[in-house]
Amino acid sequence: MSRKKAAKGKATNSSPSAGSPAVKGSGKTARSSIVQMNGVVHPSRPSVSNSNEFYDIAFKVMLVGDSGVGKTCLLVRFKDGAFLAGSFISTVGIDFRNKVLTIDGVKVKLQIWDTAGQERFRSVTHAYYRDAHALLLLYDVTNKSSFDNIQAWLTEIHEYAQQDVVLMLLGNKADATNNRVVKREDGEKLAKEFGVPFMETSARSGLNVELAFTAVARELKHRSMKDPSETFKLHEYVNMEMKGAGCCRT
Amino acid sequence: MDTAIKSTNGTRSFMNQSTAKDRADRVDPYGFKRSDDFDYESYEELMSEYLVILTRRSIKWTRLLKGKRKVQKNVKLKRYVRKGIPNEHRALIWMAASGGQDQLEKNPGYYQSMLLSHHDSKLVETIRTDLNRTFPDNVLFRKTSDQCLLKALYNVLLAYGHHNPSVGYCQGMNFVAGYLLLITRDEEKSFWLMDALIGRILPDYYSPAMMGLKMDQEVLGELVKLKIPRVWQVMVEHNVMWTLVVSRWFICLYIDILPVETVLRIWDCLFYEGSKILFRVALTLIHHNQAVIEQAQSLPDICQAFKQITQGPFVEDCHAFMQKIFTEPGSLSMASLTKLRTTCRGRVAEGEP
Repeated sequence: MSRKKAAKGKATNSSPSAGSPAVKGSGKTARSSIVQMNGVVHPSRPSVSNSNEFYDIAFKVMLVGDSGVGKTCLLVRFKDGAFLAGSFISTVGIDFRNKVLTIDGVKVKLQIWDTAGQERFRSVTHAYYRDAHALLLLYDVTNKSSFDNIQAWLTEIHEYAQQDVVLMLLGNKADATNNRVVKREDGEKLAKEFGVPFMETSARSGLNVELAFTAVARELKHRSMKDPSETFKLHEYVNMEMKGAGCCRT
Repeated sequence: MDTAIKSTNGTRSFMNQSTAKDRADRVDPYGFKRSDDFDYESYEELMSEYLVILTRRSIKWTRLLKGKRKVQKNVKLKRYVRKGIPNEHRALIWMAASGGQDQLEKNPGYYQSMLLSHHDSKLVETIRTDLNRTFPDNVLFRKTSDQCLLKALYNVLLAYGHHNPSVGYCQGMNFVAGYLLLITRDEEKSFWLMDALIGRILPDYYSPAMMGLKMDQEVLGELVKLKIPRVWQVMVEHNVMWTLVVSRWFICLYIDILPVETVLRIWDCLFYEGSKILFRVALTLIHHNQAVIEQAQSLPDICQAFKQITQGPFVEDCHAFMQKIFTEPGSLSMASLTKLRTTCRGRVAEGEP
């Protein structure tokens, strides 16, 4: 009759509202008590798996791109390190998950919003663009039309998102060598044209998944901390780290 | 306990030392794989009571229908529907109550003709993207299954898209059509039930502008403001738009939100009484759990709370839950709902660019 076990247990949850970056004193975190679900998260059913992890700053990141490019898979791979082929359901509406990263000793919490890709849902998701600190725009390297639509997505982003939003272009499903129809150079060229950092990712193999989110978190942390002794350039960081990984640059 | 293996005909060995987990199937009666954290003990407890109800209802229904293939809507039938339609009669009653049967009979061959008409390639591609992402946890929606329903799902969605090009295909319709196929096991009936739902029962949830969805989200907000003001206050304080927490409730008609059996019981009433039922369910969930929602301190807390309230014993005990939806939210007349919808549609339309 039922498919899931009843929610049990009490735990603490720390989560500021989205909007301006919430900067908190290290270790001092607002804690509110809320009954929550068990920690086990089925990969096909994204849910807010809460952790009572402390954090210093929090940011809102949105995943956007055509339907079926792998937004949910990328998020689940990043959040849980899992990829179960054929276990995902299409996302309806909008949903989010949290993950806390440690960047140079600073705990950065990313509140990552996953959105339905189909065009008619955009009127529902637009409202959330303006609060986003970063947008990861995805296309599928095995689907030409998802790549062709990137320009339309960028227009939309410019219209609805904040001007200083951190933006990154991701060519997902890079592992699918046999079905690839969009060359990496094409992605690079387009990214260059619009002045956005770019990398190819694979939720299946894990390629660059961590890097994509870490790079965004670094940029956001850098911006909000405004530490003059520290310089950070997202483009350079991405290029350097990708070379370092020795996986997708010649 | 590994020695207690269920034999293929369902008889149990080592009954005296087996656990609830050993006794239950890993797949539910509709083909859904039970999740790893499925609570077999409370399921067995619940089913032992529900089976008695199901048996009693089944006997009553058999007597009511007496082998009839046609049913008339009346007060008695409505009462029966609220108490749950036995699964073997669901297709019949859904078809009769929704007007789907009339349409099917008036339009012989129409479904087939929709399948044969010129394929809109964009529609085909959109549907294909979601086929394998419909119910991956259901054995009947796997390519390897002998009774695989994926082709039927594709056909129903394609035929519907051609039949109603102003809607075409909207994500969420895959889940709705999937449930219809699981119950009717018949493409043509599923098609006419889709037509009843999207064309007559629901406002325009699935059309590109999604006006009906936006309207009903607003309507729910108004009803909460009226009936559960403290929850409404929390939503306002944290600037949470209703769409964030309830859009899936409406679009998926509670599929994958509430337990399968509960969803089917809701649909029994949805086909008979109309879209008002969706509000009754939403209001019951919110009203019953208002303390949980009021505790929320932030937008993410609220989102979390709205997920939490769709799980647990309250919604798993579908029979008790279905009684609650007619008492807990209080009165909800069609007249006041229509009025609210008109107001909210206007408000939403004004807000559009």
